Amino acid sequence: MRIAAIAWNTFREAVRDRILYSILAFALLLIGASVILAGLSIGQESRIVKDLGLASTTLFGTFIAIFLGITLVSKEIERRTIYVIIPKPISRPGFLIGKYCGLVLTLMVTVGVMGLMVFLLSGLVDGVLTPTLLIAAGLDFVALMIITAVALLFSTFSTPTLSAILTVAVFVIGRLSGDLTVFAEQFADPILRRLIWVMYLTLPDLGRFQFGSRVVQGLPLVPADIGMAVAYGLAYMSFLLLLAITIFQRRDFK
Amino acid sequence: MTPRALLSITRAPWLAGVLAGAVLVGVVIPLHRHQAVATKFDLVEERVWLLPPVGALRVASLGFHGMAADAVWLLTVQYIGGHFMTDGRFPELRRLVEAVVSLDPHFVEAYTLGALFLDYSGAHVQASLDLLQRGYRANPNRWELPHDIARTYYLELKDYAKALEWFKIADQIPGRPAYVPRFLARLYAATGHRETALELWQAMRDSATSDWVRDIAEREIAKLERQPAGPSTQGETTQP
Repeated sequence: MRIAAIAWNTFREAVRDRILYSILAFALLLIGASVILAGLSIGQESRIVKDLGLASTTLFGTFIAIFLGITLVSKEIERRTIYVIIPKPISRPGFLIGKYCGLVLTLMVTVGVMGLMVFLLSGLVDGVLTPTLLIAAGLDFVALMIITAVALLFSTFSTPTLSAILTVAVFVIGRLSGDLTVFAEQFADPILRRLIWVMYLTLPDLGRFQFGSRVVQGLPLVPADIGMAVAYGLAYMSFLLLLAITIFQRRDFK
Repeated sequence: MTPRALLSITRAPWLAGVLAGAVLVGVVIPLHRHQAVATKFDLVEERVWLLPPVGALRVASLGFHGMAADAVWLLTVQYIGGHFMTDGRFPELRRLVEAVVSLDPHFVEAYTLGALFLDYSGAHVQASLDLLQRGYRANPNRWELPHDIARTYYLELKDYAKALEWFKIADQIPGRPAYVPRFLARLYAATGHRETALELWQAMRDSATSDWVRDIAEREIAKLERQPAGPSTQGETTQP
């Protein structure tokens, strides 16, 4: 119940934040503008609307996750509200999980709005609805849950600016981590190749959640692949949350 | 007007707003419009010329390969449009289309339209075939690619044996147009090449998603219609 109360309060606080509405407005504007761009594409209207729409959902969802995630803990410290919360009968892990769930709820709503807009717009352009677009947006949301957990982890021990830089770095690495395996093959040194391979396995692979291109091409989605991606996402998110809890437990708020 | 006077004007918010509007409408837009009109075509050429290599594009697009392919495709469309209306030559088209399909190997229309305009420019039939064959290897379930390979062999190279081979492949793929079996029958009989060519171009005209493609098809139809509809041209052809 206490975790739920913290989550609900975090959600209410986030939806009052003007930055959320600014980012959402830009995202919806870009998704809407895809229809104009699509008109220049020689028969590729549907493809452009879907591609640009899904990419906007991911990008702007990431901005929201980073901008709100990096201040989750630091804002409480800055306002000194954490000194009021910590002595109350709620555990530190409970506090952190509540905060995380509140932000994930905010993301669910915003990604839901963006995903629905892409879904309806592509239906308007195609003349037929593509339900698999919603699955692709859902998988993007799982990737955003990881980014939120990364932002939360950094916010437990670092300043908002540094947390933002580090989270953006993890996002970039995560989007390109699939290329690390190709990169590793360029080196003759087996130790270096092994090291790159370990990096690939340890860092989040956000490419695993990209099902958008298959949806755009009308290729079938394999349920086992979706299941594996979701399982990987939840496992990685748990790992990050546990790490954040470990660091947060050791912080001195007296 | 002194800076002090300007500062005192901008203290009145509505006046500053009016001033901002006047600067936008009176200076910014006319200047921008002048430059946009003067450099429209050059800008596309410059962007084509400065397009980074595919490897760099893949990294810079941060895994949003579909969106990057769309962006290069939009540039390709502008490039085709510019040259189609002027010299009818597309020296950078191959590089552009290869960038698109390297970013997204399933972008079937980039292969087919790219190949069509490479054909149209006359000097790139082999490049067009290479592109379509690459597309077929990446998308073996799409009838459009073997169909267009067959069409290129048939219409451009007059190699009816190869055309038959590729039409047979297209015929096996679900969703292929109803006229493919008719073409196969004619190719087996090695007759009616003019009618087949006419029907191929008519099919392209009817399914065209762009005025440029429709325009090419109509020119070819007009050319064929001027030819006499005589007996089979069997003697001139490679036997299927």
